[in-house]
Amino acid sequence: MDLLDLIDLTQSVLDGVLFGATYSLIGIGFTLIFGVMHKINLAYAAASVGAAYLSLIVVSHVPVPVVYLVAALMGGVLGWLVYLICFRFLPLSNPLATLMSTVGMLLAIEELISHLTQGMPMNYPAMFQSANIEIGSFFIRGDLLFVFLIGCVAMVGLTQLLKRTRLGLATRAVAQQPVAAQLCGMGINSTNASTFVIAGLLGGTAGAMAGAAIGVLSPLLALPLTVKGLVVTVIGGLGSIPGAIVAGLIVGGAENLFQFIRGVSERDIYVMLLLFVFLVFRPGGLFSPPGGRD
Amino acid sequence: MDFYLGLAQVIGIHTLLGLSAWCVLHTGQVSLAQGGFFAIGAYVAGMLTSMWQWPLALALVTGAGIACVVAIAVGFPAMRVKGLMLVVATTAFAEIVRLVFFNLEWRIETSEGVVGPNGSLGFGGIRYFPSNGWSAFEVNALIWSLVGGVLLLLWWFDRSRVGTLWRAVGEDEIAAQSAGINLTATKVSAFGIGGAIAGLAGGVFAHYTTHVEHSNFGILLATFAIAYPILGGLASLAGTLFAVIFIQGFLLEGLRFLGEWRSLLFGALIVLVMLVRPDGFLSRALWPGRVGPRRQQTASPSVDDSDTARQEGSRHA
Repeated sequence: MDLLDLIDLTQSVLDGVLFGATYSLIGIGFTLIFGVMHKINLAYAAASVGAAYLSLIVVSHVPVPVVYLVAALMGGVLGWLVYLICFRFLPLSNPLATLMSTVGMLLAIEELISHLTQGMPMNYPAMFQSANIEIGSFFIRGDLLFVFLIGCVAMVGLTQLLKRTRLGLATRAVAQQPVAAQLCGMGINSTNASTFVIAGLLGGTAGAMAGAAIGVLSPLLALPLTVKGLVVTVIGGLGSIPGAIVAGLIVGGAENLFQFIRGVSERDIYVMLLLFVFLVFRPGGLFSPPGGRD
Repeated sequence: MDFYLGLAQVIGIHTLLGLSAWCVLHTGQVSLAQGGFFAIGAYVAGMLTSMWQWPLALALVTGAGIACVVAIAVGFPAMRVKGLMLVVATTAFAEIVRLVFFNLEWRIETSEGVVGPNGSLGFGGIRYFPSNGWSAFEVNALIWSLVGGVLLLLWWFDRSRVGTLWRAVGEDEIAAQSAGINLTATKVSAFGIGGAIAGLAGGVFAHYTTHVEHSNFGILLATFAIAYPILGGLASLAGTLFAVIFIQGFLLEGLRFLGEWRSLLFGALIVLVMLVRPDGFLSRALWPGRVGPRRQQTASPSVDDSDTARQEGSRHA
């Protein structure tokens, strides 16, 4: 491998790490809901893509940043709807019930999107597409950097929300011990619902950022984003937000690394094998004490 | 008539797939790997009959056997984790299998021309049934005798010691472990038997369609596999059969006049069933005279100690 290849490789991994911010956001959503309710919401990534689609309704009337904002808000609304339909009235003691209901929701959202758009991919607006930053022999794509920065802002916002506000306090209390939290006067259902709304806001942002980075939205995006988000959640450690952030960037970088070495059709095999390596050697994830399982 | 024979074949194959997921679900594990074992069985059995002219029975058994061995090999690392981690691990495994077949190119010259898996174009020319002159009726007889055999086998398992072990682990792992049950062995045995059944289903599927490709074996197939037993109710084998007939027969074929919108109904229906009958259509409480202790239907947060402990214990997925 000569120097030119090495530069290409680094460039490709760099792009991947920047795009990995969207995986981080999806991973945080999964991990947040798991932390509070000990449930997986498999419909989460599909709802995120759905939110990005909904924001396309206003795309011709308002400037691009407002479109992203609308996507985030729609994500919150969809998150609340998913909670209401798939979790609120189901027996939470039966783990299979909510698993299946969210799978059903995932399929329903995916089908609904492909019916309403006739299965055609739709263009999604990006920002700073021409603003490339050159550093030595590398250049950083402006739109990817923007996606990365928005992702960072959303993550910082979430951490502040969880650490500084009363809502965040309630969320963390319910996550730690639901019964004690309820005895202290916190409503479990309202806290759960607000967690879904917060996760939905992040998901809507992630959907919009994925759309902006790729340039198009497609219903085919929902399943890969779900799988990647779950991989990120597991590698980062269930319930760990910093873990999800780091794991998202790692998965994004690893994806492009393997794509560069082995080609696009074999790329995901190695990403999945990476997951297995983590499951075998560090089942608790990056940011948890070794030996912790589930 | 041909239409109904074809439908019966599809229902038979999907019943086998659902039963394979039933084994694993019975031990309380959610596995999305069944689509992967199905793919292994399909490719192995298809390659053996089309490329090396093996007899069908031998090819099906070999396909099921290899799927079983792979399931056991994957089972040992995968069964160390549970709940969400297992869902993700098995999804990852199924994706790996699908992508391996997506990249597999192995074509050889035979008397019927060049056959073999051809990467992303899929694997065509599995022409055992047409070239040996099997009628649709005979294919049906084969599929349904396999379904019958597997049903009998699982019914027997369920009544024997094996079923007791599986159910004990499924109901409460900690209690089972303290009763001296080897958790890993129990789970891996269920995983292996489930893998073998899925491999068998895959082998039949490859010969039924004559052309398989990687997109047949995506996450959607695995979702269908676990949806059948869960929707039908884990308490009985009949539930799985009932759910397959309902989904494949009524929802996908009976509602054909709705056009493409019926696949939207599938998702909505799963949500609906889980809302109305969270334990499945044919859960225990439906059988007259066999009303067991009903599971707690509403999750009213309770301060009662034992109840909380139980909720905590089952909050893992």
